[in-house]
Amino acid sequence: MKLLPFCGLAIGAALALPAIAADGGDKWTPQTFYADRCAMCHGPSGWGTRTLSRRVPAGQAELTRRAQLPASYIAFVVRHGVGSMPQFTPTEVTDRQLTELAAWLARPPGAAAGAKSG
Amino acid sequence: MTDLVPPGVSAAAFSAALAEFRQALGPDWVLTSADDRASYLDPFAIGDRGDHATAAALAPADTEQLRAVLRIATRHKVPLWPVSMGKNFAYGTAAPATKGTVVLDLKRMNRILEINEDLGYALVEPGVSFFDFKDELDRRRSKFWMSGPAHSWGSVIGNALEHGVGYTPYGIHADTICGMEVMLADGSLVRTGFGAIPGSQEWQAFKLPFGPVLDGMFTQSNFAIVTKMGLWLMPEPAEMAGVTIDVPGRADLAQLVDTLRPLKLDDTINSTYTIANGMRQITGGARRGDIWQGEGAIPIAKIEQTLAARGKGWWNVIFNLFEHTAGGMDLRVERVRRHFAERMPQAKLSVVRWKQGEPQAPWMRQETSLAPLAVVDWRGSPGGHSDFGPVVAAVGSRVDALYQLVERRFVEFGLDPWIGMFGIGGRALVFVADMLYARDDKAMTDACKALLRQLCKDAAAMGIGVYRTHLEFMEDAAAAQIWGDRALPRLNARIKSALDPVGILAPGKQGIGRKPA
Repeated sequence: MKLLPFCGLAIGAALALPAIAADGGDKWTPQTFYADRCAMCHGPSGWGTRTLSRRVPAGQAELTRRAQLPASYIAFVVRHGVGSMPQFTPTEVTDRQLTELAAWLARPPGAAAGAKSG
Repeated sequence: MTDLVPPGVSAAAFSAALAEFRQALGPDWVLTSADDRASYLDPFAIGDRGDHATAAALAPADTEQLRAVLRIATRHKVPLWPVSMGKNFAYGTAAPATKGTVVLDLKRMNRILEINEDLGYALVEPGVSFFDFKDELDRRRSKFWMSGPAHSWGSVIGNALEHGVGYTPYGIHADTICGMEVMLADGSLVRTGFGAIPGSQEWQAFKLPFGPVLDGMFTQSNFAIVTKMGLWLMPEPAEMAGVTIDVPGRADLAQLVDTLRPLKLDDTINSTYTIANGMRQITGGARRGDIWQGEGAIPIAKIEQTLAARGKGWWNVIFNLFEHTAGGMDLRVERVRRHFAERMPQAKLSVVRWKQGEPQAPWMRQETSLAPLAVVDWRGSPGGHSDFGPVVAAVGSRVDALYQLVERRFVEFGLDPWIGMFGIGGRALVFVADMLYARDDKAMTDACKALLRQLCKDAAAMGIGVYRTHLEFMEDAAAAQIWGDRALPRLNARIKSALDPVGILAPGKQGIGRKPA
């Protein structure tokens, strides 16, 4: 799953990849961003999940399984960090993308079957 | 809008500069809201994050926009703090040395311009992370491997510029640099080495041009902004072996270093080796409160007791061996085994193997990772970490003397002595003595600052300096450079004033350009 900068048509050596704007172009989706940039820590065996398993109700340590995760809280945490989670800058995830990501994560598990598979 | 202004800049001048920056970059990429600015704070600040807050961040898309930013900044005397990905964790992340300095975020300059499968090099821009670079190598099914650092969120260029380290034969990342494009403070664009010749196919192929080799002067420096960098890549090996060595006694360090040295010097061990002390070994998968509930640092005896219960010695060494001749690894591993059996029989070796075509395993460290973040909460959440990183000649007695000093000082200042050393290049070790702290505990963060300043002085008294440091300690580290009536800092200052007379580029970085030398 590819996310940010490169969609590439480069073939073999010595070809420049076309740049893609930091907003990821048309290919950006909350699902791909989550898979590429969040799941390493918030997936089943990530250190974020391990840490959260001590703080949230059983079975909800993964963000995609959280019963309640307000979009405004997600947006704040992504820009400010929380605990030992570093924050993301607007060049990594734009405000528009962050709004989409937060809305996607804020949907209760099962709101759309399979939608939050992470 | 921001209520903070850059040092030495009036509110009116800053407001005028911001308006011009918006003209040059578009309003979306002049970042001044509270949330935007918070995203550039140091997440692992040693104390108040606000001490290194930025007044704004600017994100040019290309060198033309970058040139425009520099011209505006020069006109209004706005100091800039260039970052590539801004993930220099433990050393300040994206935050500037001086509060109010404007972050110049190069993340949007994110092209991989070339991956040359014949000559084994890449040409990249600052905003390419190790995640991105590994993805692209995999997508192309490249026959070349990346040498990544412990965490992959950062920039390929940024890590090499900051003298970062990886775990392959190409693990001294600054040594893999071959050719740069840099922009000077006045907007001039310069290509180093053979890049000065139009049509060159040697820019990334040969490091020694006609004339001075300038690449090094743009690493850990504030003389220019690196906009492109050539990096050499390692051919995929035919075989690998992962070696783990357990050494029982705390007093065995000098012997261990002297035993490893010949193997590293003759390239039998052909990648970086890591030596971890007992404290580093007991943190994995554990919580501090399960081991120690008392005041201050965990006592050495308690660490030894915990290790003994796990059947481990005080020292643990890991390194990978790389072999490009199929079948050659047997000889390499046998030489390591025989050498240790003769010189250090108390050491216990274990070896795992891999051959080209087999699935890769985590010990090969070829997958991207954020593993170091897992230990940050050791002293409580929100946690932080930063380190003391002295460079010491690979001579057992000297390494042991420095280790004893560092361990003693950590305990004295109430911090767990979480200490590792990287054997780099055969002739030296770089210590990473990590301070793990609770960020909201002011007494603890004050102790970290006092400890690091004390250690800088202690090390300087031994003739030892550091390889890298957190923003807080740039000038403490540079203070050791006193030979010849501070000849080197004075030379740096002369170069700085020649290339950046207004002083807009990263003032204070590495102690350069903030105070008169």
